[in-house]
Formats: sequence, structure tokens, C-alpha cells
Amino acid sequence: MVELSPDFMDTILRAAAMIGAGLALIAGIGAGVGQGYAAGKAVESVARQPEARGLITTTMLVGQAVAESTGIYAFVFALILLFFIIL
Amino acid sequence: MHFFYLANFDIEAQAGPQAAFEIFGIPVNDTTLIGYGITIGLIIFARLLTRNLEIVPGRLQNAMEMLLESIMDITEGMMAGGGRKMLPFIGTIALFIGLSNIIGVLPLLKNPTADLNMTLAFGLSVFIFSNAYAIKNKGLGGYVKGFFEPMAFMLPINLLGELAKPISHSFRLFGNVFGGSVLIALAAYFVPGILPVPLMAWFDIFIGLVQALIFTMLAIAYISIASE
Repeated sequence: MVELSPDFMDTILRAAAMIGAGLALIAGIGAGVGQGYAAGKAVESVARQPEARGLITTTMLVGQAVAESTGIYAFVFALILLFFIIL
Repeated sequence: MHFFYLANFDIEAQAGPQAAFEIFGIPVNDTTLIGYGITIGLIIFARLLTRNLEIVPGRLQNAMEMLLESIMDITEGMMAGGGRKMLPFIGTIALFIGLSNIIGVLPLLKNPTADLNMTLAFGLSVFIFSNAYAIKNKGLGGYVKGFFEPMAFMLPINLLGELAKPISHSFRLFGNVFGGSVLIALAAYFVPGILPVPLMAWFDIFIGLVQALIFTMLAIAYISIASE
């Protein structure tokens, strides 16, 4: 068996946590696509019915904020990896 | 903690909660103190405003009446007949979280909602309130029976879905506000003075108000779903 020094293991742990944080943010793709889809549909609806603009905008913002939450979870986990794993 | 490997940059001092002092070994975060400050400020504001109410409202009274009526309208639209009844709970959540989210634009103040303890407390109180309201409305038998629908073997899935609600509810608000404050702290480190201003306008005012609206609407939705 090869004995690895604690310093080396610490460096590996930090590197792995940083790579994990970067990988976790891949989830942002889904949130971005979802939000863009909602915005596009809202533009279509406003073009079709300009008088309902206020209601459509509010509904779009609420829907986007809910669609965003998966991305936000990934972001929280990335921050946890950065803040708490790397001591 | 030195993970960004940037000279003289301590992200923890700029964003997120920090222990201000300790009481009997229990650390008290500065975000908790700001939260208490907001609570006391809201109480004093409400006392001053309701001391001399008028039939023909003044400007400030008019604005607050419009705010409360819009909260009641949103609640009424999602659960019929609940607008006035839910106003103390829903209105408290909306006012406190709305104010907590935008108070970060003031210098030296942090958003109390950038602390997971705060948002988790709100998520859990909505969770307890919605379940207690469901038991009160449907009776204990009907409440327990709700977990066995549509089939008996759906019980674990229903329980997990119910327990995931407060977690997703509180993490959504925490992640948005904390992420915004981290980005503002990074921008203030790299381009001090110029870049943080539009970022503060975006994250603290716009995203903060939208997230307060989302949190309130989800609270109403959870309560109305649980009591159906």
C-alpha cells in the first residue's frame, strides 16, 4: 500500500469538491431552457392578445420563478460544496 | 475558509450570515438581528399608521390598503372565501419576506432571507399551518385518508411529496437571495462602486420582490391544496 500524505488527500478533496460544484451547475441548462420557453410563449401570447399583457407578464414571471428552482437547488449544492466541503 | 484563492477576499464576510455574538454558547447570526429589526420596524409602522385611521384615507393609508387588498385578492383567487381569513398569516409572510428581500440595498445590511435558518423557519411554519388547517377542515380521519389516495400503496410517495414541500419552498427563496448576495459580493470585489449597483437593483429589488410573491403564492397554494 502506498501511504498518501494528509496534505495530498486534502488537495484531492478540494479539487474534487470544486469539480463537483462545476458539474452541479450543468443543471442550469434545464432552468435556462425552461425559462426561455416560457418567455417565448409569453411573447406569442402578447402578440396575439396585446390587451392581456399585464396578466401574461405576471403569470410568466411566476412560472419562470418556479421553473428556476431546479437550477437554484443545483446552485445551493454547488455553494455547499464550495463553502462547507472545502474547509 | 480560503477556497477562492483570491488575495484578501473573504466571501463569508460579504455574503450570507455571520455569527454576531454568542448567548450561552449558541451563536446568534447578524441576519437574525436584522430580522428582529424588521419585525420591530413593521410593528411600529403599523401602530403609527393605525393610530388615526380615516374614512377618507390619506396617501400612506391608501397605499397600505391597496397592498393589503391585493394580497387578499390573490388569496381569494386561489382559495375561495379565504381572503380575509388568511390575511394575518399570508400578509405577515408577504410583508416580512418582501421587506427582508429588499433591505439588502441599504449599506451594511444583509438580507435576513440569505440565512437558511430564516427561510426554513418560514417553510416549516407554512408546512405546520397547512397540515393543521387540513386536519381542522377534513377531520383527522379525512386527513389520514388523504395520504392513501388514489391507492393505498401510494402512501410513501404521498408522504415524501408532503415532506419535500417545506424543503423546496425554503431552499428556493434561500438560493435566490443568497446567490444574489454572493454575486453582488464578487462584483463588489472586482469592480467596486460601479458594477454592484445594477446588480443590486436586479437581485435585491426585482428578484427579491418576485421571490416574495412566489413564496406567498406557494404558501397559499399549499394551504389550499392541503385543505381540499
